[in-house]
Amino acid sequence: MQLLDWLFRKSSDDARSKAKDRMKQMLIHDRLELPPDRLSSLEEELVAVVCRYFDIDRDTTRFDLQQYERKASLIANFPLVRSKT
Amino acid sequence: MTGRVIVVTSGKGGVGKTTASANIGLALAASGPSVALVDMDIGLRNLDILMGLENRVVYNLVDVVEEKCKLRQALVKDKRLPNLNLLPAAQTRDKTAVNADQMKKLTEELKGMFDYVLIDSPAGIESGFQNAIAGAEEAVVICTPEMSAVRDADRVIGLLEARKDEISQYRLIINRIRPHMVKSNDMMSVQDVLEILSVKLLGVVPEDDQVIVSTNKGEPLSGSSDNQKAGQAYRNIAKRLQGEEVPFLNLDAMDATWFTKVVKFFNPARV
Repeated sequence: MQLLDWLFRKSSDDARSKAKDRMKQMLIHDRLELPPDRLSSLEEELVAVVCRYFDIDRDTTRFDLQQYERKASLIANFPLVRSKT
Repeated sequence: MTGRVIVVTSGKGGVGKTTASANIGLALAASGPSVALVDMDIGLRNLDILMGLENRVVYNLVDVVEEKCKLRQALVKDKRLPNLNLLPAAQTRDKTAVNADQMKKLTEELKGMFDYVLIDSPAGIESGFQNAIAGAEEAVVICTPEMSAVRDADRVIGLLEARKDEISQYRLIINRIRPHMVKSNDMMSVQDVLEILSVKLLGVVPEDDQVIVSTNKGEPLSGSSDNQKAGQAYRNIAKRLQGEEVPFLNLDAMDATWFTKVVKFFNPARV
C-alpha cells in the first residue's frame, strides 16, 4: 500500500513542494515587512470597492502576492458578472 | 597590487561558512594567486583549526587593529602553500573590539599585499557581520537547502543589496545538498532555492562525510585531488571566482531507470 501511496501521491503534498511554497510566501512577507493579516484586510476593502460597481464572482476571485526576480507583485483577479446600475 | 576583497557570509550559523572559506582559500592559492584568509569571527576563532594552523597563531586581527603588532607579524603562513596566509581572529575578545572603519583600513592594507582577501564572516546580521562586510567588494552567500537557512540568506542578500555601491556582486553557494533526498522530493533542489532567492549561483556542494574527516585532520578537502565530491565542488568554485566557466554538477538530474519510468507512467507529476 505504501508503494501505491507513493506512486499516486500528488506532487504538491511532498516535503519539497511544501517547503518551496511556504518559503515563497514567507519571503514575500519578510521582504515587504508585511504583517500576515494585512493582505486579507486589503482584499476585503478592494472587494467592497469593486462591488459598488460590479457584481463579481467571489468563488473564482484570485488575490495573492507573486514574486518576480526579487520584487513582489500583487495579483488581483475579480471575475465580473455584470455592472451595477 | 590591488586584490579582490570577498566576504563569505550566510546569516545562519552552521551552514558551512568557515569550511567554505578554508576550501576556497586553499583552492585559489593552489592555482597560483596569493590569498589572505581573514577570520572575522572574533571570540569564536575556528578557521585556524580547519586549516590545521592552530599551533602557529601568535598574534591576531585585534592585535593588528590595536597596533600591538604589525600586520605581517600576525599573518600565519600555510603549511602547504607559501602564497596562502591566515589572519586569525582573537579568541579572548568579542566583536566590539573592532569597528567598521578599522576593518576598512585593514582590508585596504591586505588588498595591497594579496590577490585575494577572503573574509570569513561570523553568523548573524549584527555588528560582527557589519564589520566583516565593511571593506568587502564582493560577497559569497552560503546556504543549505533548508527553510531557515534560505530565509536567513535572503535577509543577508537584502542587506548586501542595500550596499550596492560598495559590494558590486554577490553569488550563492548551496551547501550540503543531498541528491537522493531531492530525488525523493523530500528536500528543495538547487533550482528551487535559486527560484526562491533569485540570485546568481556560484556553486553547489554535495553533502560529504569527508568534510568532517578533513576538519579533524586540519587539511581542507580542496587541497587534494582525491576528493571528487565537496573537494571538487570547491575547486570548481575557486575557478569560477577567477572568471573561468565551469559547468555546474547536475546533482538534481534523475537517472531514467526502469523504475522512474514506471513511476512517470503512473504519475507524471512525481518525476
